[in-house]
Amino acid sequence: MKRNDSAFKSGLRSGSTFTIIVLFLVLIGFNASGSALLARLFGQAPLSGQLPPVVYGLVFLALLAIWQGASSTIASRHKGFHVPWLSGFSSTGLAGLVLAVFILVFGSLYQGGADFRRTLYALSPAYIKFLSADQSPVNGALINLFVLLIAGGIAGLAVVYLPFGKLWKQVKVTWLRFWNMDANRSLRASRYFKFGVYALLVLFCFFAPRLWGSYWNYVFGLVGIYVLLGLGLNIIVGLSGQLVLGYVAFFAIGAYTVALLNAPVPHNLMWGFWPAVVIGILLAALSGFLIGLPIMRLRGDYLAIVTLGFGEIIRVLLKSDLLTNFTGGPRGIQDIKGPSLFGFSFSSDVDFMYLIILAVALALFIASRLQNSRVGRSWIAIREDETVAQASGVNTTRYKLLALALGAAFAGIGGVLFAARNQFTGPEDHVLMVSINVLSLVIVGGMGSIPGVVLGAFALKGLPEILRELANYRLLAFGALLVVMMIARPQGLWPVGRPSLQRPEPESPPDKPEESNREVTHG
Amino acid sequence: MTALTSVSFKTPQLVARIIRSAIGILVVFWMAVRAYNVLFIDQPYGTDTWVRFAISGLIIGGMYALIAIGYTLVYGILGMINFAHGEVMMIGTFGGYFMLEALEATPAPTPASPDLNFLNAHPLLSILLAFLVGTAVASLTGYFLEKIAYRPLRNAPRLVPLISAIGASIFLQNAVQLLFSPQLRDYTNPDVLARGIGWSINIAGSNVMITYTGVLSFSLSIILMIGLYVLVKKTRIGRAMRAVAQDKKTAALMGVDVNAVISRTFIISGALAGAAGVMWGIHNGLVYYFLGFVPGIKAFTAAVLGGIGNIPGAMVGGLVLGLVESIGPAALGIDFQLKDVIAFLILVLVLIFRPSGILGAASVEEKL
Repeated sequence: MKRNDSAFKSGLRSGSTFTIIVLFLVLIGFNASGSALLARLFGQAPLSGQLPPVVYGLVFLALLAIWQGASSTIASRHKGFHVPWLSGFSSTGLAGLVLAVFILVFGSLYQGGADFRRTLYALSPAYIKFLSADQSPVNGALINLFVLLIAGGIAGLAVVYLPFGKLWKQVKVTWLRFWNMDANRSLRASRYFKFGVYALLVLFCFFAPRLWGSYWNYVFGLVGIYVLLGLGLNIIVGLSGQLVLGYVAFFAIGAYTVALLNAPVPHNLMWGFWPAVVIGILLAALSGFLIGLPIMRLRGDYLAIVTLGFGEIIRVLLKSDLLTNFTGGPRGIQDIKGPSLFGFSFSSDVDFMYLIILAVALALFIASRLQNSRVGRSWIAIREDETVAQASGVNTTRYKLLALALGAAFAGIGGVLFAARNQFTGPEDHVLMVSINVLSLVIVGGMGSIPGVVLGAFALKGLPEILRELANYRLLAFGALLVVMMIARPQGLWPVGRPSLQRPEPESPPDKPEESNREVTHG
Repeated sequence: MTALTSVSFKTPQLVARIIRSAIGILVVFWMAVRAYNVLFIDQPYGTDTWVRFAISGLIIGGMYALIAIGYTLVYGILGMINFAHGEVMMIGTFGGYFMLEALEATPAPTPASPDLNFLNAHPLLSILLAFLVGTAVASLTGYFLEKIAYRPLRNAPRLVPLISAIGASIFLQNAVQLLFSPQLRDYTNPDVLARGIGWSINIAGSNVMITYTGVLSFSLSIILMIGLYVLVKKTRIGRAMRAVAQDKKTAALMGVDVNAVISRTFIISGALAGAAGVMWGIHNGLVYYFLGFVPGIKAFTAAVLGGIGNIPGAMVGGLVLGLVESIGPAALGIDFQLKDVIAFLILVLVLIFRPSGILGAASVEEKL
């Protein structure tokens, strides 16, 4: 009996955190956006400014409860409690009770004509009505309580009584067996397979921008530019281990170079796009080198703050009246002329997409060659321990400066493409948030990992566009993601593997001993 | 040949040092020339204006000092920059704001004036309540911030808690924005403490206004600083904090509960930041979600200026930064828009040339 009690209690404990999260989501109005997203998935997207059908709000809550019920039950089972599913019920039940009280109180207050929007921004009368499922406050509270309780409880029961674990293990074993099959391995190792994959990629990159329309060209163009920025910052932060928070300064240098050289106002130089690309990259690299010189002594968090200071100085200067005659001041620079080649002008979004794809491919190639070279190994040595690296004969100053200059060059080309594509650049394009976004994508992808950068750019720049109902919550999610990643998975989503010459030993499935024997005789 | 290689090996360091010194000399020289021009040749301002700048600088400097103490305390104990400290201050400002709003909405009628509200009936009590709520909310934020975002990373590499702190800072900003709307709001002061009223004194033939809110903020910040100094130097809590700052392991062996001390440190620094936040609101009069960022960075500058990890240093650094920031643009004859550039420039220059700050922290070189 005591054991039942403790599963229940453990559910209450994890449920209190869950309750706070649910209440927070309700208070910031996330329920409306989340259920609007669900509604779009089912083809019932609400018009802008309107709330989705009530059902989706309840489904959204139920999904939250299923997640919490399942995870809480798994935790209880892991601790060896007697009736683990009780914790699913108790944790979501607690959240349901609190939410019910909340709806009861606010529902009645709003029926009395109160309006809390001056204090709690999200709580409009329509939203409160949506939360209480278009019913009276009492019924709405009860409905919410039941939805949370039942969804969480059923999820807990399902985890206990349905063989999810075995099913998952079966899938894993089958997949591993398939993946490690001799035919499969030799196929993967063969050169034709590699060429085939590259050919498919090239074909995709050629046809996709023409097929998927200008909106997706815009989105994936942005993703591409952020891949460029991420690759650059990956060299600085991920490989050489210098936390630079003023990365946007180099981006701004690239953007302003192309703007000043190719816009009618303020200078009307019109040098063309291609010289601007070269000059932008060189200027950015030079500024990385110059900023690097005085700050070489600093490490870690001091470096972060100093570079943040540099970034802010550049932004304030761009915004001030001091440089208005030279850089256009707070209003920025408009009508930047795009690139043209042999009389053929790159005006459409498709052309720009090709340009960005080309730049990204080149950058990926350069970055991966750098990473696997002597230079890359020196950077990693500096990242791991600067003193030891110096003692082993790595010229730390030179390699750190090189990392800054190269990283800045990547940012420079990113800035050039960004400004040329938007045909505009201004101080608001170069705020601290850009640096933070790039840093987040490098960290989320996995520091020092090139596929991680691409994945991170898609996750942090592409996903918010796909989940556009949740656009307001993007930065909130970034912040939470940074904290959670640091605590739970500091190596990132796609961590970089140590280079190894040996063929990795396949994971031996536990219930098939003869399988692993076969592998050993082969290896 | 060996000489040649050794030269080429040393060249980057040498060039770096030369360029560093050159930048420093150039900046100082430029400043000296500008200041000489303004003070002795152009003379655009009279004495009264300089006094006005100094007063506003001291008031802002007091707030910077309170926030900077929070950075210094946390740095001294955990060796990390609490990047989200500015957000803690912002939440304190919001706490005080909502308290004052609630008091304004509370009727307290007297026979003489039937539609009087509590805020104007008891202005000092209201301000006190606002400060209490602001500090309480900020302390709680600090406490949970440490518990959720920093404690699991206590033994992680140095960059990891800093990134977590950046994440927490973004999260708190956006959480406040989503909860309470992105709009700028006017801080609700009692009528007797309205912004812009105060004593006026005659200096060099013209009137200089000393606002009540300014006097309140400055005196309160001085009182809080003295209180903190006494707390750290004279009480058991303070002794435990100093012990943990010196050596966590030994302190634990001597029976100090390290986790509790760290929690307390965050509570104390949160309280100071919250008080500074309410002052900020009452004196400057605007409250919005992004308000904590700039004071946060500047207070960090102040902490670095005074020598990070050093409590008197943070106080002096805050006041000096406030003064420099308000007098600097005028003295150098540059645009007042570039006020922030001066603060950041000081930060960069101090970190490059004298990382141990004015008053110098004991072990900063090894922590660099």
